Amino acid sequence: MPPSLPAAVEHLAPAPGLADLFIGMQEVALSSFGGGLSAWSQRIVVEQRRWMTNEDFLTGLTVARLFPGPNQINMAIYIGARFGGLPGALVALAGMLLVPFSLLMLLGLVYFQVHRIPQVDRVLAGVVAAAAGMALSMGFKILDTYRQDPAALVLAAGIFVAMVFFHVRLIPLVLVVAPLAMAWYWPRSAKPELR
Amino acid sequence: MIGIGPDSLAAAAAHCTPASLSDLGRLAQVIWTFLSLSLFSLGGGNTLLAEYHHLTVDQLCWLTSAQFSDLYALAEAAPGPSSMIVGLLAMGAAWKEGPLWGLLSAFSGELAILLPSTLLMVAASLSWNRLRDSPWRVAFERGLGPITLGILFAVGLKILTTANHGPLAYLVSFVVCALMLRTRISPLWFMAVAGVLGGLGVINR
Repeated sequence: MPPSLPAAVEHLAPAPGLADLFIGMQEVALSSFGGGLSAWSQRIVVEQRRWMTNEDFLTGLTVARLFPGPNQINMAIYIGARFGGLPGALVALAGMLLVPFSLLMLLGLVYFQVHRIPQVDRVLAGVVAAAAGMALSMGFKILDTYRQDPAALVLAAGIFVAMVFFHVRLIPLVLVVAPLAMAWYWPRSAKPELR
Repeated sequence: MIGIGPDSLAAAAAHCTPASLSDLGRLAQVIWTFLSLSLFSLGGGNTLLAEYHHLTVDQLCWLTSAQFSDLYALAEAAPGPSSMIVGLLAMGAAWKEGPLWGLLSAFSGELAILLPSTLLMVAASLSWNRLRDSPWRVAFERGLGPITLGILFAVGLKILTTANHGPLAYLVSFVVCALMLRTRISPLWFMAVAGVLGGLGVINR
């Protein structure tokens, strides 16, 4: 199943079973509680447990970013699917989400009980302002990638204007614009290569 | 039941009344809402945040705008993928039916948002060797990048204007945004400091 195995194949550990996948992904989730999930995932899956080569792992990251779904969750699905198909993917997903999701549910239960207390609301007003700054930074973080591609910037600006000023909803917008963008970026087309 | 103060309670009541549904009807609404959005979570899922706000606050009236901002901040602050905000939104949808319905709704909503994208991701992982060199893959990857870029800016602006009411709050947001781009300090510190400022009454809603 792995594509072209590099020379380091003899250093790989035997393929993990379902229980190993569950425990391994749980370890990734727990290790990354301070952040840096992707780096932890690489350290544990590639360096410590030696389930896959680094090249294979990076391929997984590419697939995870390309397809819909949260990147870290998609990465767990890729790892699980590589070794156990659909059951492997579901087990890896459960391993990755069990503890963080349970904690978040606890937080949610507490939040809905106490959020109307004025002191709590005041603290949250501050936290929310900081979180909004994080949301604002998301676009800027990937902007550099497209600096040299005027068509991409025009496309992004058009999407932004449609959503902000004309309140176009996401699903129809993506369904209309995605095919146009794919046609523009179709490889080996007559159009000039822009990237 | 919803709303922070008398003003927002009145505003919420004036602008948005949730459809009267049975417990199970609400659960079905939650599941369908997130199932239908799953395959549109491009670029890691944050692209859906503006849509989440539109649906949960303006259209389905599960939450107030202030609650939405709070839940966004909670999901960012909590360990694990921040896309788990779906669980919190779904919890809010059923909260007035009690914590148990809230939890059931939260699990159902999270499963619903994950199921379609998970199945697609499994298929993609297993057939990547064939997909890798396909022109469809190349066009998809290149075409969706700029779309994601545009959506993320719209989402950032939406969260910014939903969360903040006042120049100081905006100032905090802009400073945090700059620090996120220029430093590698954990965002938890920014939220902690801003939480203290809020508690002291410096930042108001």
